[in-house]
Amino acid sequence: MPSGKHKSGRYRKIFVKTPGAKNVVHYRESKPNKAICGNCRKPLLGVPRDRPAVFGKLAKTERRPERPYGGVLCSACTRNLHKQKAREGQ
Amino acid sequence: MSIFNVGRVCVKLAGRDAGKKCVVVEQIDARFVMVDGGTRRKKVSTKHLEPLAQTVEIKEKASHDDVKKVFDKLGLKVWETKAKKATERPKKQKAKKEKPVKKVAKKAEEKAAKKEVKTSKPEEKEVSQEEVKTEEAIEA
Repeated sequence: MPSGKHKSGRYRKIFVKTPGAKNVVHYRESKPNKAICGNCRKPLLGVPRDRPAVFGKLAKTERRPERPYGGVLCSACTRNLHKQKAREGQ
Repeated sequence: MSIFNVGRVCVKLAGRDAGKKCVVVEQIDARFVMVDGGTRRKKVSTKHLEPLAQTVEIKEKASHDDVKKVFDKLGLKVWETKAKKATERPKKQKAKKEKPVKKVAKKAEEKAAKKEVKTSKPEEKEVSQEEVKTEEAIEA
């Protein structure tokens, strides 16, 4: 029987074939989904894919790009947004 | 003549200063301009700038102070670097530590005192007995 921690969804299963031709289940920690842009849903660059516990140990500048909307919108979408704002403001 | 002439107010699109207003201070070549004001003073590609209709009267290669004066009049924010204060070195202070009296030593002292009491008591008794004896002898 798998122990409780292996049933919580935190771990993913890996089936390994041993030299004795047995199939054994190994458990590895599963990673969260990739961070995506809030506008165009493309995966964000510069945002590491780690568990919150690992994320907390990183410096703030290592967690997301250091620009407005960094870690929320992709660079192309931020540019478009700022262009729109600049043109509306006139 | 490109739009990015000296004195043109722009919005920065890319990087750390994205969304901030700045002024073209110098045209370096067809692609790059020098920019100052709400952003850091930087050489910037024109692809990273969105020009506005607004222009400002500024000399070419104007210093940051000149740009600051113009921006303050217009009520725009200016990038300011905080001058770092030289931190004073903490003076070395020798911490006065009272030497903790060892409990073991105390106990030893107490023990020694007790021993002295013990040893002294029987002597007194002996003395008293001798005195008694002497007194008895005198009476006899």
